[in-house]
Amino acid sequence: MTDILIAAIFQENLALAYFLGICTFLAISERVETAFGLGLAIIAVQTITVPVNALVLNGVLVEGAWRWAGLPEVDLGYLRLVAFIGVIAAIVQVLEMTLDRFFPRLYVALGSFLPLITVNCAVLGGSLFMAERQYSVSEAAVYGFGSGLGWALAIVSFAAIRERLRYSDMPAGMRGLASAFLVTGLLSLGFSAFARVPL
Amino acid sequence: MPKGLSRITAPLIGQNPITRQILGVCSALAVTTGLDTALMMSAALTSVLCLSSAIISLLRNHIPHVIRLIVQITIIASLVIVIDELMQAFAFELSRALSVFVGLIVTNCLVLGRAEAFAMRNPVGPSILDALGNGLGYSLILILVGSIRELLGQGSLLGVVVLVPVADGGWFEPLGLMQLAPAAFIIIGLLVWAIRSYWTDQAETTAQATPGEQVAR
Amino acid sequence: MDDRRAPFWRFLARDNEDPVKILGVAFLVALISAIVVSSAAILLEPRQTAHLEAERAARMAAMLDRLPGMADILAETGADSLRTYLVDLATGQIVPDLDPDDYDAAAAAADPATAVAIPADLDLAGLRQRAPYAPVHILERNGRVELVVLPVSGTGYASRIEALLALQSDLGTVAALTITSQGETAGLGARIENPEWQALWPGREIADDSGQIVIAVVRGQASSPYEVDGISGATRTGNGVTNMLRYWLGEHGFGPFLDRLREQGV
Repeated sequence: MTDILIAAIFQENLALAYFLGICTFLAISERVETAFGLGLAIIAVQTITVPVNALVLNGVLVEGAWRWAGLPEVDLGYLRLVAFIGVIAAIVQVLEMTLDRFFPRLYVALGSFLPLITVNCAVLGGSLFMAERQYSVSEAAVYGFGSGLGWALAIVSFAAIRERLRYSDMPAGMRGLASAFLVTGLLSLGFSAFARVPL
Repeated sequence: MPKGLSRITAPLIGQNPITRQILGVCSALAVTTGLDTALMMSAALTSVLCLSSAIISLLRNHIPHVIRLIVQITIIASLVIVIDELMQAFAFELSRALSVFVGLIVTNCLVLGRAEAFAMRNPVGPSILDALGNGLGYSLILILVGSIRELLGQGSLLGVVVLVPVADGGWFEPLGLMQLAPAAFIIIGLLVWAIRSYWTDQAETTAQATPGEQVAR
Repeated sequence: MDDRRAPFWRFLARDNEDPVKILGVAFLVALISAIVVSSAAILLEPRQTAHLEAERAARMAAMLDRLPGMADILAETGADSLRTYLVDLATGQIVPDLDPDDYDAAAAAADPATAVAIPADLDLAGLRQRAPYAPVHILERNGRVELVVLPVSGTGYASRIEALLALQSDLGTVAALTITSQGETAGLGARIENPEWQALWPGREIADDSGQIVIAVVRGQASSPYEVDGISGATRTGNGVTNMLRYWLGEHGFGPFLDRLREQGV
């Protein structure tokens, strides 16, 4: 389990190794505060959705899942993508409502990010990797937490760098987005060094 | 310039999805290792974009606000899956190459972004034109990055050898870095810099926040 | 005017924030999408499987074509393809009473009732479970085994890799490796499907003198007969191929079958 966790954070970092969720990564990383908020929200969503999707996958979609109903050959694997997206959207909606009702202060801090997370390719990507690697539900939970943590780590580091770069002296055309792309490229090159570390 | 035509040309540079709206970036990285895959992904995405914008625009008056995101996603995902299934049945060779990208297209923020920002509020005709323009803008960046990465990384374009590599007796030492995804980021960064140096009105001032930040606040 | 008052139009005319409309639209969209996607998948499935089968057969035929001298041997034996047998992987014996063409190995591997679980320490290829039987394709000439083709599969970096491994008559040298299915990174790991990379395989040896399976895809250049050049930027895919071959050529895969074949012939 620990190697799944470590790999999810470093070697297989969703943002810097697989480049998932990059649109949000680039757009919401101008300040460390907002990046931190988004990171926390992603960790929460990932930790919940990946194991739930594992349950849905193994309980409903794989070939043989309907054996108890006398339909052993039914294979709904092709619905995987849509099912995962649906589950993620539903969970995010429920999370938003729960936060609003029971943790209003958290809701004020994180609430505006939740719609962004529904369509974040990192969240869907985490579930798709879980499906590809056929994790059990407990492995999926560990992987969900780890991959969310990795993404959060990446965006907070990135925001910290961007905050510093904000007032540095650079050509007008390079300010902002162009420098963000370049820094991301360099950051991911750095993270690729982890790929060499044997687990 | 007539309104319709400007809808197509605006997203080429002025409102380019990747370099300005920051949409659709994820897929621009993995598929640009070569010009052929970049072209295929561009074609696939532009088609999906136009079709999904058309369908969502047709239904726009009857999609309740609270469930609009999930309805859009469902429509887009179903469309992509059906296109993939049709290709696997009738254009098998092509589908083998494109199946990898299917997943990338469904989650592509560009498709959903344009659906939410434009197709939900505008009639079918303008929506299709807007989709076409954004698809072309996206394709432009993809083709540029793909060409540079293939040329500098392998010395060829679309498989045709342009710069003869050392291994084949030539002078060109292929840049291994181009094979890696970070190279795409760096190239796009340099591209944005170049665009903003020429079209200076796009450059950001230190006080400006990106559109994403404004949404979050 | 009658159709204006029909339930459907009345429903559509409701305000968009009306709960009935919200539920109704959600249900309708879900239902229609489900019907459209499922219909497409079910109706098109026969065509798709036909294409897949044709492609697999074509790859097999192409692989055989590329093997030196194979065309002549095939002409001599009068066969236009190899004979397929079903092998019980645990014992290495050929299963006599099942028709190899009817056996669906993929389904048997997925169905918990028939699948054989692979112990974690032996599961090099990351498959978790496999079917108890596997088809093998053998070319015989004058009672001698000339060529054996083994279907192998394993987990790569981002996808399942499937391939056909052809072994020469000594059952220790690779005749060819053909990748039949993979979903690795385009431009990197996906290059295992390129003919140029697959051309590196003929002549490689799978086991060292002590009999241990050591065939491997290495980083950089190969330096021994048991190694194959890796693809730069695709080390994990290469490792996936290595582990796949080592599993299937080992004790839990085709090992017992190959041992038997060496001793006794078909």
